[in-house]
Amino acid sequence: MGTTDLVITKRMLGALLIALGALAFIGILLLDALRGTLGDFGPAQALALAGSLGLGLLGASLLPLGDRPA
Amino acid sequence: MIGTLESARSAQRALLIAQRALLGIALLFMALHLAVYFVYAAHLIAFPFDYDQGEGFELNDTILLSQFQSPYRDNAVYPFYASNYPPLYHVILVPFAWLFGAEYWYGRLVSFVTTLITAAAIGYAVQRDTGQRIVALLSGCAFLASNYIYHIGPLFRQHISMIMLETLAVVVIAPLSQSARPRRLILLSLALLLAAGYTKQLAVATVAAVFIWLFLRGVRRAIAWAIPFAAIAGGLFLLIDWSTGGQWWLNIITANVNQYILGQYVGLLAQFVALHGALLLLAGLMLVYELYFDRLSVYSVWFVAAMLNTVLAGKWGAGDSYFATAIAAMCILAGIFAGRTLGNAWRLPRLLAGMQRAMPALSVAVCAAFVLYSAAVIKLPLDMPIFAQIAQLLGLQSNTKFPNFYDSAGWTMGYATLGQIPTAQDIANGWRIVEYAKADPRPILSEEAAFSFRSGKPVVTNPTQLLNLYNNNTAERTLYDPAALIAMIEARAFSAVILRREIGQTAIIGFYPPPVLAAIERAYTLHQAIPMNGYEYTVLLPSAERNLP
Repeated sequence: MGTTDLVITKRMLGALLIALGALAFIGILLLDALRGTLGDFGPAQALALAGSLGLGLLGASLLPLGDRPA
Repeated sequence: MIGTLESARSAQRALLIAQRALLGIALLFMALHLAVYFVYAAHLIAFPFDYDQGEGFELNDTILLSQFQSPYRDNAVYPFYASNYPPLYHVILVPFAWLFGAEYWYGRLVSFVTTLITAAAIGYAVQRDTGQRIVALLSGCAFLASNYIYHIGPLFRQHISMIMLETLAVVVIAPLSQSARPRRLILLSLALLLAAGYTKQLAVATVAAVFIWLFLRGVRRAIAWAIPFAAIAGGLFLLIDWSTGGQWWLNIITANVNQYILGQYVGLLAQFVALHGALLLLAGLMLVYELYFDRLSVYSVWFVAAMLNTVLAGKWGAGDSYFATAIAAMCILAGIFAGRTLGNAWRLPRLLAGMQRAMPALSVAVCAAFVLYSAAVIKLPLDMPIFAQIAQLLGLQSNTKFPNFYDSAGWTMGYATLGQIPTAQDIANGWRIVEYAKADPRPILSEEAAFSFRSGKPVVTNPTQLLNLYNNNTAERTLYDPAALIAMIEARAFSAVILRREIGQTAIIGFYPPPVLAAIERAYTLHQAIPMNGYEYTVLLPSAERNLP
């Protein structure tokens, strides 16, 4: 099984992190909109938004590393 | 030319001397930390009462299990008690309970031993990866030296056993790619993870880390192992929930959903970085190296997951112990970084090839990091021989609420105020409180179970559990109804109420839900306030003007 198994590459990991960051970013905004307080961010939400942006940027930095195993 | 070579050689010699001197200083510091930790543990193991609020309730869980009773009970029914932790740590202690009865020493001894095993596992992981014995030794000691590990190491609490099981699980699976028997490693690691999760729920982050790492290394294999693991862990969970009539879910999941205090987390995170910064830097560099220039090790993935999990330290009732898993991961990564540097064992990519020349200087820097860390985490009892002289030499004075204890951590919200060595007066005062508990055959209502155990009475209530559930009551659902407990208080069914508060406070303060505290104020009168372990224990007796039942 090990020889034919799919190994995650740096590029795949980067794409995964970008997707996770985007999902988190949209999720936080959506939750805020559902509560009816869109744009009125508290410190925890601001931190979470910054974190999701950071995750996306980290993912982007891995994309050029190509097919090396993560 | 000869002069240049000579000066280069003498510079290298100077760096080597500096490196060895720094390693020697770090080892000396670690020896001091170990001595302080062993003395602290020995005193705690001998201490006959709760040292940390909640220890007695874990002892009660052990006693209940030793009598084949479930600790996951209905909080609204006498004795209004339920545990909010999974049972494995308490199950392990059951044979001790059969042999020695309700005693604190064996739970604390087992916890202390688990910290030594964790430190040994950290050292072993570093030694296996780098072959650097001194660095391996320093890495293991660094775990024990942390103020946070020192705090909880020898307590009758399940948290540190979880850390041991998590660390062993990660160390076992780390060499998976080089193993001739990978299935065996995975099986053992997952068994340890299952045990960690059933010791404390917080282990879920390490479970996630191991599966994420397995996923990176082989998607199909990770999924193939995740399915049976989830089935066993989930099946066990459902079985316990079914056998306790839903009390398992209510008490270990619902009761742990508490108010989140961002300021508490930010304060603890700042303190954590200030204390552990030197080794965090090395661990961070190792993580970055693996992320961009090598494959991610399970240690790096674990470190990230554990750091993310520290966010939960902002929950009411949580604290510095929530950083303990991250500390174990940090010690391994920092140790591997230091070991590879000292052993000149880096496989540097072309981009970093120039770094090779800087290795001797970098070696000095990593040794200095261990010295800085050792100096940053100093905590000392100030009234014991040798330690008192060392404190004097270093110019350290008490900076805590205890006159004979120095703690470099200072204090922030959520940081447990303990670490001092209990005095003979503390023990004598504890027995004075027990005398009040013994004075009347009725049960007592105590925020700490020790006074019930020592007076041979049943343990009634787990106050923080009642408070957590009460705070989660909504208009639609009642998780805890204090009516029955309030009725007993108003009927003076308890011979004494024992609450804990900060010295200097005058109000009736406690961990009970507000209506319970209000009932206590109505039916009981403050009789005496007895100091113990830096707190004041208020002994309240039934109000004289009311009729006794």
